Amino acid sequence: RYVRQLQRLQLLFSPTAADARGARQFVEEAAQDFARQHPDVVLYVSPRSGPGPAPVLRAEYLNGTVRDELIASKTSEEIVQLATKLANQSGLDIIRIRKPFHTDYPSVQGQWHPLTNKPSILTVQGPRLQPQ
Amino acid sequence: VAKTSLTSPPWPEVKLPDPAEEAKYHAEVVQKVNGLISAGRYGRLFAVVHFASKQWKITSEDLIMMDNVLEAECGDRIRMEKVLLVGADDFTLIGRPLLGKELVRVEATVIEKTESWPKVNMRFWRRHNYQRKKIIANPQTVLRINTIEIYPCLS
Repeated sequence: RYVRQLQRLQLLFSPTAADARGARQFVEEAAQDFARQHPDVVLYVSPRSGPGPAPVLRAEYLNGTVRDELIASKTSEEIVQLATKLANQSGLDIIRIRKPFHTDYPSVQGQWHPLTNKPSILTVQGPRLQPQ
Repeated sequence: VAKTSLTSPPWPEVKLPDPAEEAKYHAEVVQKVNGLISAGRYGRLFAVVHFASKQWKITSEDLIMMDNVLEAECGDRIRMEKVLLVGADDFTLIGRPLLGKELVRVEATVIEKTESWPKVNMRFWRRHNYQRKKIIANPQTVLRINTIEIYPCLS
C-alpha cells in the first residue's frame, strides 16, 4: 500500500556539451538499471541539440512540485545517487518543519484537564460555595 | 518514649492489603482484561514506543520523522519492538520496562527518505580573520504507523 511520490524524471542535456559527459555516461550505462529498479517512475531522456542551458535533471511529483537539479560536471555514480535520492523524496517543500510527528487523533483516553483524577465533589459543589 | 513531631513520618500511613487477597484480585482483573481483548471490545489503541533513541506516543495512521537513515527501502514494512506502554479506552498495559513481543505488535512503513532543510553551520572568531561556513542537510526518514495489535496472552 505504498505509492511512490515521484511521477517522472526528465533528463535534459545536449549531446555535444562538455559538461554533460556524466549525463551521457549515465544514459549509456546506468539508466536502464535505474529504470528497472524503480518500475513506478517514468524516465524521459530528451537530448536537445546545439549549445543550450546547463544539463538538468527535472523531477515532478504527484502534488505538482517540480524540482530541478544541475548535473553539469558530475560523474555517473553521483547522478545515480541524486536520482535515487529524488525518487525516495516526496513533493513537499524542504522547509523547517516544527514537529517531527503528526497525528489525526491526538488523545485516546480523553485529553487531560485539571479536573481529571480529582473527586467529583469539586465539579458538583465548586470551590467557594460555602459561606465564609 | 514521648511522641514528638518527628516520631512518625508526615505522610499518612498506608496499610497494604493481604497478599492472598491481592493475588486473587489481580487474577480476576487479568482475566477480565484478557476477555475484553479477545472479544475485541476496544477502540483505538495507542502505544509508547522507544525508537531512534526517543520515545514516541503513537496511534495507528500517524506520521513520525527521524533524523537518521534506516536500512530499509521506501515501502518496506517494519515491526517495532521495544514497546513500553499500550493503552485503549478502558485499560492500559504497562510494561516493566518493556512489554512482551507476544503481546503487542506495532507495524510501520517507510514512506520517504529525504534530507532536512539546509542548515547553516558557521564558525567565526572576531579579530582573527577566521570564518568557516558549511551547509548541512541531514538525511531524514518518514514512517507511517500502520497498525497496533494486541493478543490476549496476559498472565
